[in-house]
Amino acid sequence: MKRLIIATLMVAVVALGAMAQKTTLNVLYYVDATVAGYDVDQAIWAKFEASNPDIDLQKEELFSEPFHQKMQAYIAAGTLPDVFYMWPSGRSEAVYEKHLAKDLSKLLGADFLKNFAPTATNPKALGDSIMPASQYQAIIPQAFTLTTAVYVNTKLLKDNGFAVPKTYADLKKMVPKLKAKGISVMMLPDKDGWPAQSCLFSTISGRMVGDAFIDQVKASKAKFTDKPFVAALQAYANLFKDGIIPAEDMNVGYSEGTGLFAAGKAAMYIDGDWRTGGYITDKTSNTALISPADQESSFDIINFPSIPGEKNAGVVSGIAGVGYGINNALPSGSAKEKAAVRLLKYLYSPEVQKIRYESGAYVPTLKGVTGTVEPIIKKMAAYKNAVAKTTYVLDGVLDPSVFNVLNAGLQGMGLGNVEPAKVAADMQTAMDAWLASKK
Amino acid sequence: MSEEIKTTALGRFGAAFAKFLAYFVMVLFSLMTLYPIFWLIMNSFKPTREFQVSQLGFPHVPTLKNYGGPYGAWKLGDFDKLIPNSVIYTLGATFGIIILSVLAGFAFAKIPRKATKLIYASFVIGLLLSVQSLLIPLFLEVNIMGIYNTRLAVLLVYIGAGLPMGIYLSTEYIRGIPTSLVESARIDGAKYFRIFRSIILPMTIPVATTLAILNITGIWNEFALINILVSKTELKSLPLGMYRFSGSLSSDWGKQFAALTIGTLPMLVFYFIFRKQITQGVAAGAVKG
Repeated sequence: MKRLIIATLMVAVVALGAMAQKTTLNVLYYVDATVAGYDVDQAIWAKFEASNPDIDLQKEELFSEPFHQKMQAYIAAGTLPDVFYMWPSGRSEAVYEKHLAKDLSKLLGADFLKNFAPTATNPKALGDSIMPASQYQAIIPQAFTLTTAVYVNTKLLKDNGFAVPKTYADLKKMVPKLKAKGISVMMLPDKDGWPAQSCLFSTISGRMVGDAFIDQVKASKAKFTDKPFVAALQAYANLFKDGIIPAEDMNVGYSEGTGLFAAGKAAMYIDGDWRTGGYITDKTSNTALISPADQESSFDIINFPSIPGEKNAGVVSGIAGVGYGINNALPSGSAKEKAAVRLLKYLYSPEVQKIRYESGAYVPTLKGVTGTVEPIIKKMAAYKNAVAKTTYVLDGVLDPSVFNVLNAGLQGMGLGNVEPAKVAADMQTAMDAWLASKK
Repeated sequence: MSEEIKTTALGRFGAAFAKFLAYFVMVLFSLMTLYPIFWLIMNSFKPTREFQVSQLGFPHVPTLKNYGGPYGAWKLGDFDKLIPNSVIYTLGATFGIIILSVLAGFAFAKIPRKATKLIYASFVIGLLLSVQSLLIPLFLEVNIMGIYNTRLAVLLVYIGAGLPMGIYLSTEYIRGIPTSLVESARIDGAKYFRIFRSIILPMTIPVATTLAILNITGIWNEFALINILVSKTELKSLPLGMYRFSGSLSSDWGKQFAALTIGTLPMLVFYFIFRKQITQGVAAGAVKG
């Protein structure tokens, strides 16, 4: 009996010891359950939990505005989670301004960082040019995003006697024949307001005025009402006037676009590089919007054709992607800090990045990641490799008070309700107000 | 004589036309209310790929995959945990709001003191505050009190948020009850709590029903407060689960509709079971309140 009691006590002590050693790691993660590859994403986290029994992972999943509201509340209360999802620039402004995330270059070390594309570990290139506080290694972007990619139904073009377009004139030539058949030359679903700016106009702006012009506007040395920028807006408006993009697309929801394009309602579809995930085979239902065979034979991804009057040929709007920050309040060398580092190293590991790549989430910044992917993802990787230079995504470098005016103006121009000069003037008014508020 | 017959015929036609018009408008509005619910439920049985090319048609081959299985909405949304939480928060907070509101309403309406007006006004001013303006202060408060990530925090905040409207309605309703009833009971030696229990409480059932309807639907669907009050899935409520399916880059509509159907269904069941009481409660509360 005595032995039994002693043995029971010893087991209890060992169990209590093990429990005491368990480190709780609070993580604020950004995801919605309907995104393509959500099952794969969850499996990644589950594997970390299973292989790290000494870490009690408390993961909070939020998306869109609720994420930002919660983040704001955490920052105000000074109770930021141990690891949190964050952006390389403006959207995580408060984190950078208050230096709430640890410097990963010190924490993860040069040996770890050398495995990534040089731009991903160059804080000066990552940070916002108007926010010096962001210019340190708070995150490692998991990917670089090209926000303009033209998805082409090559079979549809071929059946109608057209080659893949290289110039604006090529696009114009397609209008009469395709329009007569009820097919759009290009589709740009912009009911949600942001795709026209993020996925098309940012590239047009980069080609026609360039990043230096935007920097000058932000420094009050140029104005949106200057001729070159108005001409860029006009180039966008011409796509609608010339019938290349139908005005009706301004009433098509972002989520509806892929289905319509796959159903042959448009010869080309303008979106970001992240959209490949929407076309590939969904592992849970084993169905694909475009079958791998069709992806191979009938579809391609190209750069936006050249625009009359462009100065910077071939540039595409792009931005560093998101990553994970570690709470700067975690004591150096603490168990929590060690657990957070272990989690980050796992999330950026070749194993996880390969899964992300294969699920169509993105092309990783981690070097040497290869995998078995469907043709459309390979074609996206080839397209990204072919883009020699990127330009600003305007909602990444302008204040919301300014780019919201642009978003509304682009919708208005698409519907033919407003002229480019008026949009430029409204943007400048918003810019002046923002500049005044910063003084 | 002939003119009188003409008028009657016209009158009959007019009455029939008016009846037709009334029914037409009512049927139209009923359809406008019911069709979205029908559309939602119908599309929840379609695979997403089918929905993307056919948004209005019936499902080609109805599927339950959006609901069940390891990657169905039920599992992904953790609805098995969230629905019981919603029930606890909704019933617990509604009960608290009703009891405290009616008690306070009795005091404000029938036990006048010097400070009554001031205290009453300080409660009612809460009607003017928006939820958004309270988010961060409430988050700070629950953190300072050490009750962040607890059901207690959610219940306290919900009860607090519901009290301004509850106290306002209860006070105005109880003011309509003759004060002579209270005075007679006092003369007979009854204490205030006895008067409340035996006289006031039974008479406030209509306003309590109105409060229950307002709060049950409001708390069941509440999102902003609970989003900042808890982070553990075990403590979250239904709207947080439903919101996980509403990304702006959404590609899995089938699961999103299944999640919305799961979230809507309990309220529909609640309405069908209690529709008589709800209609009576709203009418009574409106007339007597």
